[in-house]
Amino acid sequence: MINFSLLLHSMPDLLRGLLVTLKIAALGCGIGLGLGTCFGVAQALGPRIARLAVTLYVTLMRGTPMLMQIIFIFYVLPQCGIHIPAFWAATTAIGLNSAAYISQVIRSGIASVNRGQIEAARVLGLDSSTIIYLIILPQAIRAVLPALGNEFITLVKDSSLASTIGVAELSKEGSLIRSRTLDALTVFFGVALLYLIVTTTLSLCVSYLEKRMNPDVKN
Amino acid sequence: MLKIDAITKKFGTKTVLNGVSLTVKKGEIAVLLGSSGVGKSTLLRVLSDLDRADAGTIYFNNKKLDPISMHKQHLVGMVFQQFNLFEHLTVQQNITLALEKVAGKTKQEAAAIAHALLTHYGLADKANASINQLSGGQKQRLAIARSLAMKPEIVCLDEPTSALDPLLTTHVGNTITQLAREGYIVLVATHDTALLDKLQCTIYLMDNGSIVQTANSADFKAHPHSYPLIAKFVSGTIA
Repeated sequence: MINFSLLLHSMPDLLRGLLVTLKIAALGCGIGLGLGTCFGVAQALGPRIARLAVTLYVTLMRGTPMLMQIIFIFYVLPQCGIHIPAFWAATTAIGLNSAAYISQVIRSGIASVNRGQIEAARVLGLDSSTIIYLIILPQAIRAVLPALGNEFITLVKDSSLASTIGVAELSKEGSLIRSRTLDALTVFFGVALLYLIVTTTLSLCVSYLEKRMNPDVKN
Repeated sequence: MLKIDAITKKFGTKTVLNGVSLTVKKGEIAVLLGSSGVGKSTLLRVLSDLDRADAGTIYFNNKKLDPISMHKQHLVGMVFQQFNLFEHLTVQQNITLALEKVAGKTKQEAAAIAHALLTHYGLADKANASINQLSGGQKQRLAIARSLAMKPEIVCLDEPTSALDPLLTTHVGNTITQLAREGYIVLVATHDTALLDKLQCTIYLMDNGSIVQTANSADFKAHPHSYPLIAKFVSGTIA
């Protein structure tokens, strides 16, 4: 049975872990979205060399487990003289991994934008960067918002891998409490509940954004 | 005055435009008539700098134009077959975007120009509507209004009736005539002989990338037998 008294008592530690989880997810999301968008644009609209470089990056990041990437940054890079604290190693790995997936989502979104609009913008005299930022990306992102939402939710859950290098995020805090109390059911019920609250909130935010970015609803 | 001189364009080994020459004066309408794939749209695309000609020259008011200077001067406005409106923007934003980002107008100046254009084309009450809320005819009027926002000298319309209800052909004809009256040089690529019937224009019949016959529309209506190729096309034997 779930021990609600223990759950309540453990909540401050779990919430502290949740805060770290949210920090990793938010920063990873920022890195992933920023780099992923640049990579997606480069692959969809860039020169051949840029397309090739992004393809190589995506193959590498999608083809190896995220856990390996975290371990590589935290344990292998120090051997090359690059020391990165555990929190930043995990955040960087998660962000770089996410960038590979987001780049493909953005690329598919760009492909869905009618080419004719780009030609219309060119005839009007708009330059390439204005066309990308004001014509292509708003429509591409709107088209792939559900897929991006899935990626952000996955990212929140993947942040639990940071626990493997000692980052005290939500899962790690749960494990620590479990080792003290030996009540796995209560502790991981609490952990799962907090993950569920975060991911459900994120889903609702994405749905809201989808509606807001729909011009028919907006007007 | 627009003078297109011996424009040639190839896609791979296929010659799409083969030494096309024509002259259109201010306030005149040139109709590029022909079946699909004869090079009408490609000529408009070359004029709009969406495609580069492999040979030939374009003159405007007797000055030779290179594509970059044409672009900088915003000489050409283009109305696309499928309108190609910016679907994520409102009706007004479709017009103000280039005014703000290219012409450097302030938001207020751009809005005032957009309002004048939308009023002229009967869309003032739709200024804040999304593109999906417009009918086909309204979309085309917006596409025309957008193409005029940058004050071009030349307006190109690519198959202006093909995406519309045939009942709107008269309305499109009136709009094109009005553009010419306002002093624009108007080029229309079409295979729609019903539209041709509504226009006072010079007809350039195209086939295989070349202009094969030219006629003034009034002359053609009076003496169709003097223009056998155009007459054949209009009566449907080529089409």
